[in-house]
Order: sequence, then structure tokens, then C-alpha cells
Amino acid sequence: MRRAAQSEAVATRGAASWRIRRRRPRSDTVAAYGFLAPNGIGFLVFTLIPIGASFVISLYHWPLVGEASFAGTQNYRALATSDPVFWQVLRNTFSYVFGYVPLNILLSLGIAVWLSSKIRGKNLFRVIFFLPVVTPMVANAMIWTLLYMPQSGVIDWFLVNVLHISGPNWLGSQTLAMPAMIVMSVWQGFGYNMLILSAGLQSIPVELYDAAAIDGASSWRRFLNVTLPLLTPFLFFAFVMTLITSFQVFTQPYVLTGGGPGVSTTTLVLYLYNNGFQFFKMGYASALAWILFVIIMTATAIQFVAQKRWVHYG
Amino acid sequence: MTQTLQKRTFTRRHALKVLGGAAGIAAIASPDTLLAAPGTSPFAVLRAQETVNLKWFMWSGSPAEVDAWKHLASMVTAKYPTIKIEFVTASWPDYWTKLPTEAAGGTLQDIISLQSLRTPGFADLFQPLTSFIDKDKFEVSAFDESIIGGLTYQDGLRALPYDFGPEVIFYNKDMFQKANLPFPKVDWTYDEFLDTAKKLTTGGKYGYGAWPYPDSWLPFALSDGATYLDSAGKLDLTNDSLVAAFSKYTELVHKLKYAPSIPSTKDTNYMQAQWMAGNVAMHVNGPWQMINFKSGVKFDFGIVPMPKGTKGSVTVSAGSGFGVSKTTKHADEVWKAVTVLTGPEAEQYLASAGRAFAARKDEQQYWYKNAVEGSQETLEAALKSVVPYKVTPQWQQVSTLLLQYGIPAMNGQTDPKDALTQVQAQAGG
Repeated sequence: MRRAAQSEAVATRGAASWRIRRRRPRSDTVAAYGFLAPNGIGFLVFTLIPIGASFVISLYHWPLVGEASFAGTQNYRALATSDPVFWQVLRNTFSYVFGYVPLNILLSLGIAVWLSSKIRGKNLFRVIFFLPVVTPMVANAMIWTLLYMPQSGVIDWFLVNVLHISGPNWLGSQTLAMPAMIVMSVWQGFGYNMLILSAGLQSIPVELYDAAAIDGASSWRRFLNVTLPLLTPFLFFAFVMTLITSFQVFTQPYVLTGGGPGVSTTTLVLYLYNNGFQFFKMGYASALAWILFVIIMTATAIQFVAQKRWVHYG
Repeated sequence: MTQTLQKRTFTRRHALKVLGGAAGIAAIASPDTLLAAPGTSPFAVLRAQETVNLKWFMWSGSPAEVDAWKHLASMVTAKYPTIKIEFVTASWPDYWTKLPTEAAGGTLQDIISLQSLRTPGFADLFQPLTSFIDKDKFEVSAFDESIIGGLTYQDGLRALPYDFGPEVIFYNKDMFQKANLPFPKVDWTYDEFLDTAKKLTTGGKYGYGAWPYPDSWLPFALSDGATYLDSAGKLDLTNDSLVAAFSKYTELVHKLKYAPSIPSTKDTNYMQAQWMAGNVAMHVNGPWQMINFKSGVKFDFGIVPMPKGTKGSVTVSAGSGFGVSKTTKHADEVWKAVTVLTGPEAEQYLASAGRAFAARKDEQQYWYKNAVEGSQETLEAALKSVVPYKVTPQWQQVSTLLLQYGIPAMNGQTDPKDALTQVQAQAGG
């Protein structure tokens, strides 16, 4: 009798706990989906579906005004074989990336390390360095247009009146326009990475430095063997994000140079924009978008594979 | 039980139908109809009092211009009280990006604006006006013929013009006086132009603002007898006559240095801004800028026709107008509005304000009255030797690329022929 009651109680408890087990995960799942829904729907409607649609459009001759006609892979083939400037535009994009990313990382790392030492008013400096990041890019680019102006620009004024040499036409020169654009971009963008790396530096335990110091490590050794390895997860993040955004560079050439002189500062996204919204070849522009997509995905994938060799977690 | 259910369902549906019907009737029978005077058809009253809201999309370059357009919109409502117009604007380059985007997005405005150089590229967005013109027996002959031609594409006129004008040279009188130079004459030659530009180039200022946009240098090329289209109307930028003319133009910057070197920019109005700032003494522009210059520059200025080249003083004319968008639901009202926006009163207003050298021949006198001194003589001379500015459907691309490739050519970094070859290769198809 007691045993029966016991077993009954166990059964009831079992049923109850089973019910609880069942109910809890289910309600959690619903809640989880509920919380994910706004972002999920946004991702679906504003990212995934447009990405799919852009691939379909890339297979068409698609003028913005008028009838579209199926083109198959013609847009892609035209880009690779008959477009007179596509390869130049691709080279421009890579030279921007290879110029901008290392400079940005080096400068933001340098400034972050400098600001992590005991100096007065470092928070003020952080704000100052971060300001260009939060200022609209168009405004920044307009200001730099004025700085770079031949004859009347501030840089030219400085060169003529202080150094007594005549300045070049920065944005009018095919060799100088791209470096000028990179310099402006680094000034504009390094503050973001500086902040990430500053946060990374603060997370490194002081004891490690103390231990290294007791072992007689010089400050350079401590930077090389303590700071850098522990900063690698942050460097990795900064590197990947900067790489992706630099492949997508648009505003700087759009406002600063319009892609010229010639096509010397036309990047992939600017070329895409021109084809889509200036010359109204939406199919061609979509094909360009997909090429850019593949490039960025590849570059990011390489980063993620390579990180195993140089990123230290914990 | 089944029966009851069926019955109940029926009743509900029935009730819904009755409710829906009542709502429909209520919607049709607005207070206007119910209050209709005895003896008139309720629907006629309803239609007469229905306000039509039209959106009008037009570019503008300054607050003064926006005010002028809004004034025009109010003229439409004054004449047709049931037509209300909402004015929507964008800068000149943005307008041409936004317009097709709106069309692709299905949100094209009702009244849209067209410039003659873009007629072949954008005609598809405009309804041909032939049927409206025939129905109203509208007098197209009141307008200048060249601009009517400029706004016509295949099966008909696409927009009624409000302005047009030949490209001329705007010059800064203060800089001439400072250099003790006489003002240029209507029949001046290219050599005189060069001599003047040379003498005005002093103290960090330049005599002329050379600019690679086709509107700025094609008049020089045409005055030397060059052509830019072949006999079939296709782009032909690499023929010897044009290469020679363009090379000669670039020399103003990199060889003679009477014009400043140019930074690369997407700002199509860069050289205009340099002239307005008093950095260059002369530049090429159209009479439509009179309103902006009169309110925007701090010096006296004048206008003079293009200097005579080997084939005389030849210039191109361009102009703009308003049309009925292909997707509007109120085509009749839009047509009515457009006839007011380009009507004699509106033209008189625009001409007097200096915004538009009137496309209506009778109203051109008002522009002369308020334009700078000597304008009438200059424009009359320019109009004698003006040629229609013929373009290809890809003209926007041609202009953009000429800006990009023309700048290094002007600065002496690339061969002018190479620049033209690049543009031809990309936009010639």
C-alpha cells in the first residue's frame, strides 16, 4: 500500500516534472523566437530578400526606366572581358584597402597604447580622436576638399607660406588623389579602433606586467610579449571590421573626388553606384555588387581561418 | 444542430453584407452630396468641389529659386482653386538620380520636369502631350521652336518649356576694371579672348575658368567647326576636329595657364562657384543663372557671346519644361497645371525674376528688363548663331565621364585624345 502510494507519488512527480520540462523549454523557445523576430524579420526583409533579388537582377539587362530583358551571365562576362575600366576599379579598391587598413590599425594601436600610459587629460584626447568618427562622413569629406584645394586650400597655404614650396593639386593628380583619400579616411576612421583597442588594453591584468617587470623585461619586451598577444582578439575584431568596411568605401571618393581624376579613385561601390544610379544599368550594378560580396566573403573567411595562427584567447 | 449552425452563419453573413453595404453608401454620400443644392446632380457637385493634390518635382539651386517655383504653384491654385500643388525639390544633379528612382519605386510625382539635354534619356517617364494639345487647340507656336524641338522625342512633345537659352560667357566687370581692360564686345574673336584672359590672370586670380563639362567647352569646339556626333547621331568624340578643339581648350590650363588647374570633384558647379567667389574672371553659363548670380555675387557682371572661332561664334542652347508623368492618376489636372506653369503670366514672372529666359517669345522682353546691362544685345547675337544641342541617350554618362577624364587632361597629366577615347569607349555604345 505504502509502496503503491510511493510509486504513485513518484509517478505524479515524474509526470509533473515531465510537464515542467516540456512546458518550460517550449515557452522559452516561443519567447526566444519572439525576441529574435524583429531582428529576424528585418534581416529577412531588408537583407536576405534584397540579396536574392539583386542576384536575379544581375542576370538581366535592367534599365531603371523601361523593360528588363534576360541576360544570363552576360553582365558578368562583360565586366571581366569588355569593360574598359573594371580591372582598374578593382585595383583601386585593393590599393585603398592595402593602404587604409594597415595605416588605420597601426595608428589606432599606437594612439591607444599611448593613451593607456599615465598622461593628463587622456579622456579628453580620446574624445578628440573619436570625434571624426561620429561626425558625418560627408561633412568630413567636404572639409578635406577645402583643405586639399589647390591655390586656396589650407594645406597649400601652409606649403607656400611656411615651407615656401608650391603644393601639388592633391585631388587633381592621378598619383596623389588616392593617397590623399586614404589619409583623409584614416583621420576619419582610426578613432573607432582606438576605442576598441583601449578597452582591450584595460582588460589586460596588471599582475602580468608586474611579473614581467620583476623578470627584468624591458617596456618594449612587455609590449611585445604581454600586451600584443593579449590584445590579439581585439586586434582581430578591429582588423576584420575595418577590412570589410574598407572594401565598401564609397562616401570618400563620392564626395572628395567623384571617382576622378579619370577613374583613379573610383572604387567598386562608387562604380556600382554610378552604373546603377547615374547610368541606370541596374543589372550591371547588381553583378558588381555580387562580385564585391564574393570578395568580402572570401577576405573575411581567410581572416577567420588565419586567426587560429595569431589570435590568443585567454 | 447543423441546421441551426447553418442558419446562424447565414444570418451573420447577411448582417455583414448589410453593414458593408451601408458603410459603402455612407462613404459615397459625403456631406457635400447630401448638402447639394436642389436641382443639381449630386455627383457634379462632388466632382467640382473635390480638391486634387498634385506633386510637382523640380530641381532648384537656391532659396530664391525655390520661392519662384512656389509662387508659380500658387498661380495654378489661383486659376484652378481645386488644384493644390505640393512642391518637391532636389539639387540639379540629385534630381536626375531621384527621378528614375521614384519611377522605379512607383512613386513618381504628377508634374515632373525635363531638360532638353536629357530628353532622349528620360522621355519614357513623360506622357506625350499631343492629345492634350489637340484637344485644347493649344498654341505651341508661342514658344521658341528650338526648345520645342529639344523637348520632343519620337511620338511627341514631352514637356512644355518655361525657359531656354544659349550658353554665353559671364564676366566679372570689377576684375576687368581693375585690370584697366575694356569690356568684351559682342563680336569679339578667340584671339581677343586669349589676350583678355592673359591680362586678367594676375595675383592668384585667373582670366578664365576652364571646365571639362561638355556644356562649357563644346561651344568653343563648335565655333572652330568641330563635330561631336556622326551623321547618324551617334557619339563621335575621337574625330580629329574634336580632338584638336578639346586639346586647344585644355591648353588654357596646362600650357597657357590662363585658367586654374582643377581638383577632381563630383561638383558639376565647381567652376561656377570659383567665378562667383571672384577667383576667375570669365566662365561659360546659361541665362537661367541670372537669378542666382544677381542675388549671389558681390561684383558687377556682364554677359557676352562666345568669341568667334574659325567658323564664327557658335553656341548651343538648352532649356527645360514641365510635363505630365506617365503614372499620374490626374493627367487632365496636371496638363491644366502645366499650361499655367508655362503660361504667359508665369513666364512674365520668371523672366522678371531673372530665373528664366522665357521660352515664350512674347515674354522674353521681361527678362531683358531685369537682366544685367547689355544682355539683350548679347542674347540676340547669340541666338542668331545658336545650334540645337543634340545629344545621345547616354548623355548623362558622357557628361559625367568627361568631367572625370577631362580634369587630368586639363591639368596636363593625360593626353586629351586619350581622355576622349576613354569616354567614347565607355559611353559611345
